[in-house]
Parts: sequence; C-alpha cells; structure tokens
Amino acid sequence: MEFDFIVRTLASMVFSSTPVVLAAIGETISEKSGVINLSLDGSIALSAMTGFAVAFTTGSVTLGILAAMMVGALVALLVAFSCLTLRQEQVAVGFVLTMLCTELADFLGNPFVRRPGPSVPPMPIPYLCDIPFLGPILFRHNAMVYLSFLVVVAAWWWIARTQPGLKLQGVGERPESAFARGVDVNLLRYVYTIVGGALVGLAGAAYSLSIKLGWSHGHTTGIGWIALAIVIFGGWTPWRVAIGAYFFALLKALGSILQRNPAFEGVPTQIFSSAPFALMIFALLLLSSKGVDRVLALFPPQIARRLDRLIRGRAPGGLGRTFVQE
Amino acid sequence: MKERFWSLVAILAIAGLMLAACGGPATPEPVTEEPEETHVFGVILVGPYNDHGWSEAHYTAAEYVTEHMDNTEFVYLDKLNPADRPETTLEQVVDDMVSQGAQVIFTTSDDFKEDTDRAAEKYPDVVFIHISGDHVLTGDAPSNVDNYMGKMVYGKMIAGCAAALATDTGTIGYVGPLINEETRRLASAAYLGARYCYENYRGEDPDDLRFIVTWIGFWFNIPGVTLDPTEVSNDLINEGVDVLISGIDTTEAIVVAGQRAAQGDRVFAIPYDYEGACEEAPDICLGVPYFNWGPGYLERVQAVRDGTWAPQFVWEEPDWNDINDRDSSAVGFLPGPGLEDAWAERLEAFIAGLADDSITLFVGPLNYQDGSTFLASGETASDEQIWYMQQLLEGMEGPSE
Repeated sequence: MEFDFIVRTLASMVFSSTPVVLAAIGETISEKSGVINLSLDGSIALSAMTGFAVAFTTGSVTLGILAAMMVGALVALLVAFSCLTLRQEQVAVGFVLTMLCTELADFLGNPFVRRPGPSVPPMPIPYLCDIPFLGPILFRHNAMVYLSFLVVVAAWWWIARTQPGLKLQGVGERPESAFARGVDVNLLRYVYTIVGGALVGLAGAAYSLSIKLGWSHGHTTGIGWIALAIVIFGGWTPWRVAIGAYFFALLKALGSILQRNPAFEGVPTQIFSSAPFALMIFALLLLSSKGVDRVLALFPPQIARRLDRLIRGRAPGGLGRTFVQE
Repeated sequence: MKERFWSLVAILAIAGLMLAACGGPATPEPVTEEPEETHVFGVILVGPYNDHGWSEAHYTAAEYVTEHMDNTEFVYLDKLNPADRPETTLEQVVDDMVSQGAQVIFTTSDDFKEDTDRAAEKYPDVVFIHISGDHVLTGDAPSNVDNYMGKMVYGKMIAGCAAALATDTGTIGYVGPLINEETRRLASAAYLGARYCYENYRGEDPDDLRFIVTWIGFWFNIPGVTLDPTEVSNDLINEGVDVLISGIDTTEAIVVAGQRAAQGDRVFAIPYDYEGACEEAPDICLGVPYFNWGPGYLERVQAVRDGTWAPQFVWEEPDWNDINDRDSSAVGFLPGPGLEDAWAERLEAFIAGLADDSITLFVGPLNYQDGSTFLASGETASDEQIWYMQQLLEGMEGPSE
C-alpha cells in the first residue's frame, strides 16, 4: 500500500511536470544563445489555447500540437525581432508580450472554455512499463511525456557535446569573440530563440492536450514564471533544469499530501497550492546568497569549486545584452 | 534615441495590428431569433452551455421545452460566473432578457440565489424559476419566484452503490464542489448508498469502507481560486481510491480516471449531471446520475402561459416506474459500459428497493461527523432534514465546512 502510494505519486509527478520541463528546456536553449524570452507565461497560455482549439476543431491532436509549437515559435520570433533587429530591451519586450499573449488567449479562447475535447492518448511502452518501480513511474504515460525525456537528453547532448552546440555557447557567452571567428551571432540567436519558442509552444500543448485537458481562463497561469525560475535554478544546464522541474512537481505533490494530513487541518488550502512557488523562490535565494559562499569556504578550494559548480550555475556572459555588429 | 523611439512605435504597431486582426465585438450578447407572436423564456447558466455537465443539462431542457410547445423560443446566457464574466451581473442579464420579451427566466445556479430575488423585485411581472434554491420554502423570496430541484439524493445513492460494487481497495473518492447544504446532502447520500451495498451485496463490513471527500471550492475549476480537480482526482487515485464519484459540474474526474486506467491502474468513475457524461471514458464509467430538467421546465413554462402558475418549492422525486423516462423523471441514473453484468443486476435490485420503499437509507441511528445525532434510532429523515444537512455523516473523511 505504502509502496504503491509512492510509485503512484512519483508517476503522477513525472506526468504532470511535462510542460514545465519542456518550457524550461526551451527557455534554456534560448538563454544559452543570449536571448531572454520573458514572454513564457503568456506564450504558454496562447499556445495551450491554440493547441486545444485546433485539436478540438479539426479532431487531430497532432495538428493541435503543431499549431501550438508554431504559436510558441511565432512569439519567440517577435521577441527575437524586437530585441535583435530593433534592439529593444529584452525584459521589457518579453513582459509586454506576456500580457498581450495572456489577454489574447483569454479573448480568443472564449468559445472553448471548459469544453471536453481530444487529448494525447496514453501509450504505455511494452516491456519497459513492466520493470518494477521504474516502469510505472517512467513508462506508463503518453507520447508527450516520452518526448519531454528526449528533449532533455537531446538538448544536453546538443549543447555540451556537439560542434554547433559549442557555437551556441560562444554566441551566448562572448558574442564579440564568436563574431570575430566568423559566426553570424544574430542569425544563430534568431534560430535558437525560435527553436526554444517552439518548445515553449509544445509545453502549452502538453498542458491543454495532455495533463490538464481543455481550456479555461488562467488555465496555465504561473507556469511560465516558474519555468523561468527553474532555468536559473538549473544553472542553464538541461539535465539540472529538468531536475529542477521535477523538484517543483514534487513540492506540489507534497503540498496536496500534507493538505490531507490531519495535523494540517484548518490551514487554508491556498497555502498548499501556492507554497511550491514560494519555496522555489526561496531555494533560488538560498543558492545565490552569500551564506552559501561562507559554507563553501569551509571546504578545500578544489572541492569547493566543484560543489559551487554543482549547485550554482552561471548565466551566459552575453545574456540579455544586445550584440551590435561593428 | 530617435532610433529607439521608432522601434518602440514599430512594436506597438505590430501589437496593435495583431489585436485588430482578432477584433470583433467583445460583448457577449444572448443569442436570440424572435419571430412575431412567440413566447420567450430565458435561461441563465453558470457554466458553458456545452460543458457535458450541469449547464448542458439545463440547455437541453430548454430545447426540450421548445420542441414540446409551439411558438416558444428561449434566450440564454452561459458562463455567468466571476471567472468568465467578471463584469456581468445577473441583473444585467435579466434586464437584457426582459427587453427581449422573456416572461419566464430560469436562474440555474445556487450562486444566483440572492441576485434572483433582487431581479424578481425589479420585474414583478416576470416569473423567476430559481433552480436548487430554497427561498420559497424559507419565505424570503418575492412572490414571483419559484424553486425547483430534482431529488438527486437518489441518483447519488445509486452512484454510491455502484461504487461499492466495483471497488477492490474499499476506498471511494468523492470530488466535491464547494461546501453547502446541497453538496453535503449529496455526498452523504452517496456514502449511504455505498455503505448499504458494501454490506448487503458484497457481504463486507461497511465500517471498513473508506469514503474520502475532497472539496475543490467551486462548481468547477477556477485556476488560482479552486483546487485543480485534475490534480485532486489524481491525488485521490494515488491514495488508493479506485472509484471516483464526481460532484462537480465538469468532467475532470472521469477524464483522469480514464487516463489512469489506460496507464494500467484499475480505476472507475461516476460522472454527474449530464446523461452523456460517460462518453468521456466509457470503458471505466460505472454510470451517471443525471438531471432531466425538461419535463419540469415544460410544466412551469406552460403553467405561466396558462395563468395557473403559483410560487412553489418543489423537490421532485424520480419517476419510480422508470427513472430514465425522459418525459416524466426529474432525475435518472444511466448505467455505463464499465458496469459488469453481475454488478448491474445488484444495482437494479437496489433501485427497485428504493422505488418500493423497501430500502430507505436516511434512517437513524445516523450521526454527524462530530458525533452529534443527525437521526435518532428508528427515525426517518424528513425532506427538510435531508435538505438542511449541517455536516457530513460520521465515517466520511473530509471537512464538513
């Protein structure tokens, strides 16, 4: 019973973190190239709505997912155009787009509010799903969840292990030297921002077509911001970002388990549903505080440096800066 | 600096164009087609008219009336709730409907209780049928207000029974909306049905049966305000629940149960409100207790037109000859494909028992959750006692208020 409970809770944790994982990885890719796509929260809402609306109207989940990815890519294109070509402040542009997309999603999504519709069909993977413990946790979901696993691995491999990935890092870290070596900085930034945006769109579809079916006002609120925080939490490294996303889901699961615990009776339910957000921010604060430095100073320098790199990531050097070609 | 300025202008222009491209009138007008000499009635819905739940059942009833009465049209407005239409009040909707000629207006949510009274005072010549309310009974309502409700306690008893027949883990989950007299009454009825069938048809000790109620906080999901019913349903299943009974207006419970079943869990669901609700995941649907508002609507619209209408508080029984008779029964229970034959037989016996009064469940000794007496030994509850339940029953898990 207890064992079943743990397995089931972990399984739904993996299932429900799909959109956060996808969005956070998408944002990681974009930020690695030096562009902050702050529009995440609105972008996810708009693509979730579009994905559901298209799937509902056409009856095809695949079309819905593609449409959602296109919306995410389109918003990212707007970000890239405003920031790279028009050289606007990335944060301001992202913020305005967040609000615009959220309002658009609410307005255009009106005919689809709380209507039952199509969804990504479950697809347990034969053999793998029978592995004790891991099978039910990892391999009894749907294609969207498996896709999110693949995206994490692929993003990590691409960024850390390939030639183009090195270029990507160069563009984000030191755009000037990348340019000096003949890399078209802004072109690459365009490409990766749009790819990241498409993943954010996929996250929207994961919401409305896989884990929280359908559409309603404020359906996805907050997820974009938490994904942005998780990118920092994960130190711009895909696998750590993924761990951050699962950690967030674990906090949420703990919230609802504790809520039913008699010891917490009388505590308003809102506390449990909002606590994970606060805890996540707290964890971020903790990691970036001077206190951590003091603790690290207790260790021998070599270990301290490793630990530091393990728990804290460093933002790409060129992040948020407009690169002007001389 | 100048360059910056122009870029900003460009961005604003793009944003403006995008908005303009999707423009069009934003104000939701009730739909109406109104030829000469027709009688008009209005229906105000709390959720979408096509939600496969509570609101769709009312919408279907309005269509039923127009099919069975000549020269009748209805106007409706759906999604009247703080999340979907924060700026719209019931009074505005009523103003609009009256100006379109509505002589009878159905206000179909518990949430509209006070606003219905206020609108009725404003329009004394219009008849207001407030669904699920009790202000006629308490005497608070103006004289042009009616109360109508189906006796869903029976539907919920049957749902509880079906759940008890199907459960392996002996743990039943109830996804409840907000907490009030109506919802306490319905959850308790499901619990009593489950206990009866667990004991009499399964031969188990009913005290071993767990019945967990989680309230989400409103009739449907409002992100940021309510608990998320999708999460709640998943959590209940994680905790060992293998039958989910839905008490909310929308279909999350059965959808989640369907997903989990496809992932290999043995789970069933019993949706609520709308007779087609099993469609969301037929294989694991044990059946659905639903409202059949059509005949009641028809009776009232007809009475107003004939001039025979008088305010009443009606809590209508199902038609025990056939609870699924669309022309006579106010509530019904439609068995779902997930119900095995052996369970279906027992469920029929249970329904027959309810019909001929050989099974009565609101009979003492029954205690409230805090141990205080709800019904003394041998005492049968009156309609009013059931209507005004103050707490959940002893043995149910979950808050009473």
